[in-house]
Amino acid sequence: MKAKRKLPRSLFRAALLFSLWLALLPAPLGAAEKGQPGVQVKIGTILATNQADCSDSQLSKMKQQLEVIKYRCYHLVKEESQKASWLANAVFEIPGGRSLVVMPQEYRNNRISLKVRLLEGEKPIVDTTVRVPNRGNFLLGGPAHEGGVLILSISAATQ
Amino acid sequence: MTRDCEEIKSLLGAWLDGELGASEAAEVRLHLQGCASCLGEKARLEKLQSSLKSVLEAKASQLAFEPFWAGVRQRIAEERPWHARLIDWARAVLSPPRLAWAIPAVIIILLAGLSLEQFFPGWRWALNRSNLAAVESIDGHGFNVALLRESKTKTTVIWLFENHEGEEETSAEPVSGGPAF
Repeated sequence: MKAKRKLPRSLFRAALLFSLWLALLPAPLGAAEKGQPGVQVKIGTILATNQADCSDSQLSKMKQQLEVIKYRCYHLVKEESQKASWLANAVFEIPGGRSLVVMPQEYRNNRISLKVRLLEGEKPIVDTTVRVPNRGNFLLGGPAHEGGVLILSISAATQ
Repeated sequence: MTRDCEEIKSLLGAWLDGELGASEAAEVRLHLQGCASCLGEKARLEKLQSSLKSVLEAKASQLAFEPFWAGVRQRIAEERPWHARLIDWARAVLSPPRLAWAIPAVIIILLAGLSLEQFFPGWRWALNRSNLAAVESIDGHGFNVALLRESKTKTTVIWLFENHEGEEETSAEPVSGGPAF
């Protein structure tokens, strides 16, 4: 009889210890989520033209997105990735003497707020703030280049 | 190792009832062969058992068991009130051994729910919100700006147009020369 009583107590104690361990476990995980070290920003520069039908295998993942814009030919001119710190500028050289300045501002609700500025030399072309889903992208297009237009795919992912 | 008489006497009752293990029973049997005192005790116990048996057998036939069995049958058939059944159920479910496993089980489920974001980033927002990039502000610096958001392909496009004279700086529709969205 004595032994039977002892068993639940030891089980109960073990369960409580296990619960305590589990309760403490998410602390470092939570801390990691709050303190995102930075953002990996990737810029894909695409030249869109209507000269002839063509397909670039490097753009296969973006095929559906590019179909929205309805040009006949897309060609990946340049792809560059940089690790950007929060509230710090990451500068990307864009063909045609342009540059793209990206500043990650905030990470909330699985979205990264990016302040993006496209410059032509010193002259600003566009200033925008976009909340991009983590590991998602948006397209910025329109600047004329070599008989077509440039489309910039701007994507961001927390690290 | 031999046991003393006191120990053997304390085991006699169990030995007579056949409750001792083989080695212990052999030890008692061996001791009885050489101990008159314990043998006397054994005889006394046997006599007592025999007397009790004869008395019980004589009285048992006179006992009326029918009212007892009727009471048992009545209790079995009796419908218990719902609150008594609920208390019994709660007592069984919340007994310490079951509760001991329920606590970590509940914690594991809660933590699993909270940790999903760690393993599947964005799943919560994917369920409730569109996965499109949201434009908070645009300044075209003299360019016309068109904005297209298409949920099917999760595409957000900001399109710039040359600002022709007489056109507004920002427009929801692309001007001629731009892509046919």
